[in-house]
Amino acid sequence: MKWVYRLISLVVGCLFLIPIVWMIFVSVKQEGMKITSLIDWFTPPYSLAVYDQIIRQTKLMNWVWNSFFVAAVVTVLTVALAAMAGFALSKVPFRYKTIMFFFILAGLMIPGESVIIPLYQVAKELNILNSYNGLIFPALASPIAVIVLKSFFDGVPNDLLESVQMDGGGTWRIFLHIMLPLTRPAVASMAILTFIGSWNNFLWPFLSVTDDNLFTLPMGIPTLMNQWAEDYVKPMVINTISSVPIIALFLVFERQIIKGISLSGIKG
Amino acid sequence: MRMTKLKADAQALLFLLPFLIVYLLFTVWPMIKGVQMSLYKWTLIKRIKYVGWHNYQNMFHDQEFWASLWHSTIFVLLTTPTMIILAIILALIANRNSRLQKFYRSVFFLPSILSVAVASFLGLFMFQPYTGFLNSLLHLVHMLPAGKEIFWLTETNLAWIAVGFLTLWWTVGFNFILYLSAMQDIPDEIYEAARLDGATDSAVFWQITLPLLAPITKTITMLQIIASFKVFLQIYIITGGGPLDQTRSVIQYIWQTGFRKNNLGYAATMSYMLFFILLVLSAIQYGMNNRKEAQMR
Repeated sequence: MKWVYRLISLVVGCLFLIPIVWMIFVSVKQEGMKITSLIDWFTPPYSLAVYDQIIRQTKLMNWVWNSFFVAAVVTVLTVALAAMAGFALSKVPFRYKTIMFFFILAGLMIPGESVIIPLYQVAKELNILNSYNGLIFPALASPIAVIVLKSFFDGVPNDLLESVQMDGGGTWRIFLHIMLPLTRPAVASMAILTFIGSWNNFLWPFLSVTDDNLFTLPMGIPTLMNQWAEDYVKPMVINTISSVPIIALFLVFERQIIKGISLSGIKG
Repeated sequence: MRMTKLKADAQALLFLLPFLIVYLLFTVWPMIKGVQMSLYKWTLIKRIKYVGWHNYQNMFHDQEFWASLWHSTIFVLLTTPTMIILAIILALIANRNSRLQKFYRSVFFLPSILSVAVASFLGLFMFQPYTGFLNSLLHLVHMLPAGKEIFWLTETNLAWIAVGFLTLWWTVGFNFILYLSAMQDIPDEIYEAARLDGATDSAVFWQITLPLLAPITKTITMLQIIASFKVFLQIYIITGGGPLDQTRSVIQYIWQTGFRKNNLGYAATMSYMLFFILLVLSAIQYGMNNRKEAQMR
């Protein structure tokens, strides 16, 4: 019986991998090859000519850079803002703390998609449509990051902070030199999840950007794909180039990503 | 930390202010702005005129709106149970002691990090007739006779199945991780005790593992319903909302109304309806959780 389990498990595992493997194999095929059977997709001759063509003749690499730049800035700022706010909610004994907590918690109930139409109008009035600012700033309002980081800060004992305070450490010093280092794994997980979320964010860039120099990948890809509905190689080259950076990131930070998801329950 | 009241207030304000500015500007203010917009005839260029409840009345009689809402609901009904069952199966596979444990954990989650655009185009090309991956595979193993093709994307029911499969493959990883970590939290002693009492593998699963997973299942169900309800791009890319708008999701309809038909006011109105639906779903779920907890005490 045991080997039956194992065999089924292995088949399921391979099924999950196959689309990605297929994508990569198709991307290195020569264009215009005749495909009569499934096997033909995987057999030589291979060629990187289409990669060369896509990289030279389209704005894809430009969009890879945009996605990376926006995601990096969004990640740094989101985590910085959320950590500061979470720290105040967790450790600073100010008045109206409960009200403030629930005010931010209520933000979890507002799905981004349901305010995206008025958000477009607000961004228009602030004159940040079609700009990096427009891609970055609306993404920073992440109540979930505040709430999750607060709950991690709650786990740091007050005695420790107070003893630093006795030695003359100010609030900033406690935040930067005690709190953040102590909760580094949680902050790192939050940062990576924010990065992936931003890298894959589609709806807001799709609505707010019309200048194709500012496109990020999720909206650049459909624009590019529309030109080659018949062909397989070009779309799969585009897919592969777009996925390699994020797959590499996943392989490096797999542990933090998985920990981050299981601790926070954040869904993409 | 200890400090005077005044100092604490000042410090808290300093630390909260940067977040509060973006939160007020890009979440709270749009929420309020949306109410205003829903009461106006409002185009992409400018505000035209006050129309009162007209947009809301319009919405209740708009068959296309209710149809799109129903399509999103179909998608929820299709994906939520399958997503949960598959996630449990995958977690069982990855939780078994084997040398491949790490491999399974990686491959089940890997698709989840792909961009929705990448996953959708991958799906689009896999489900193509004649040369697509799936039909070729079916031909290869002789499950589909030579010369016959399945047109996954042009028939409504098959299109739903295709989109469902794609979404399952692409996003089940999140639920899988949540289940896996919940399973790993179950103490080994419980399993050992059950084995000593002679319980079979399936008895252990149905009577121990599954009941212990009930709380996380509730959470995942809620997250999944809400996530599935917000579906847009994978359907849009794979079927374009067709055939004949039969798979058009509510978000696609809101977008088309706002940006293609140049009617932001009405789009904002429908966004509010979407918001209330999601709010009610969350509230029901929240109420269910609390009642169960009260019973346990």
